[in-house]
Amino acid sequence: MRHEAETEPRPGERPGAPPAPPGLTGIFLAFLKLGCTSFGGGTAGWLYRDIVLRRGWVDNRAFLSMLSVGQALPGANGIKATVQIGQHLRGAAGAAIALLGLLSGPFVIILAVGAVYRGLGTHPLVQAVLDGMAAAAIGLTFDTGLRSALHGARKPAAIAVTVATVLCVGVLRWPMFPVILGLAPLSIGAALVERRPQPDA
Amino acid sequence: MREPLGAGLTALALVFVPLSFMAFGGSNAVLPDIAHQTVAVHGWMSGREFADFFALSRAAPGPGSMLTALIGWKVAGLAGALVATIGLYLPSAVLVYAMARLWGRWRGRAWHDAVERGVAPIAAGLLLSAGIAVLRASPGGVPTWLAAIAAAAILLRWPRLPPIALIAAGGALFGAVAALYQ
Repeated sequence: MRHEAETEPRPGERPGAPPAPPGLTGIFLAFLKLGCTSFGGGTAGWLYRDIVLRRGWVDNRAFLSMLSVGQALPGANGIKATVQIGQHLRGAAGAAIALLGLLSGPFVIILAVGAVYRGLGTHPLVQAVLDGMAAAAIGLTFDTGLRSALHGARKPAAIAVTVATVLCVGVLRWPMFPVILGLAPLSIGAALVERRPQPDA
Repeated sequence: MREPLGAGLTALALVFVPLSFMAFGGSNAVLPDIAHQTVAVHGWMSGREFADFFALSRAAPGPGSMLTALIGWKVAGLAGALVATIGLYLPSAVLVYAMARLWGRWRGRAWHDAVERGVAPIAAGLLLSAGIAVLRASPGGVPTWLAAIAAAAILLRWPRLPPIALIAAGGALFGAVAALYQ
């Protein structure tokens, strides 16, 4: 008996089969905590550590598949992963509760921060501090952009598309929608063409 | 600046709902259009306020950024914050909910792979444009540009550095310089 109990699969060990899915309250509380503690963006990484490694609600492979599915769809990575984890655990209600949990904490916190800003924001020293914080946060955005550009940069077409996007949206300040609409078919087409010769090689 | 509440909420929804479907690369990817719409088109705030809101939202916890809540709150109070946040996050969340399993089922097909690889360089371009857009909105001038480039270089060199530490260091550096010159 003892031996059998020990060989029971622990949560997260069996792909796609967590023994007892958490209830809606548990899901809400887990994502509420995640939302309030994931600093500096990269929510997907925080989700991985908490939901996959610590709680074992989703196994490794399912989580990676969720992230990869999200790549072609718009939205923040953390949000897309949250919706899919909630869906995986408890269907539509799970997805809704997970999303609500993830967003409600940061929402309240940022409004509190905004209220403090309204009181102090015009002080010259505060403005200098905010300028420095903005500069670092902009650097963070550049870093993310450069990383994803370098990640796909083995192909010249991908570099050309990134440069064209920066020119149109960043430099010329064209609205994003027509730029995406114009470049997406070219970029996807180029990826499709580049893909072709690979099986023969 | 104060518009009637209904008009403000409608305008917020009209700005953020379409952007929800364009956020390839995350919610920061739509910053160029958010900056343009809030500062230039609607005149809801100055470029300084926009850059400040951006800085605060990146320093606060949460997915992507809660910049959208601050913008909505500035335009139409709590209702505005809710409309802007729901407007930016809910449509793409519903899309993921509806598409995720279907999309996963198509894995392995050539066009599926091409869409995933074709979207990536656009997302990268949008994120780089986002940095440029906030730099343009910010009144900080050359020091801000230089510090932003330095911050990006530091992160490329030391990728494991916690972003929040870098943001705190940026604030402390600029604050110290300002205090010395006062």
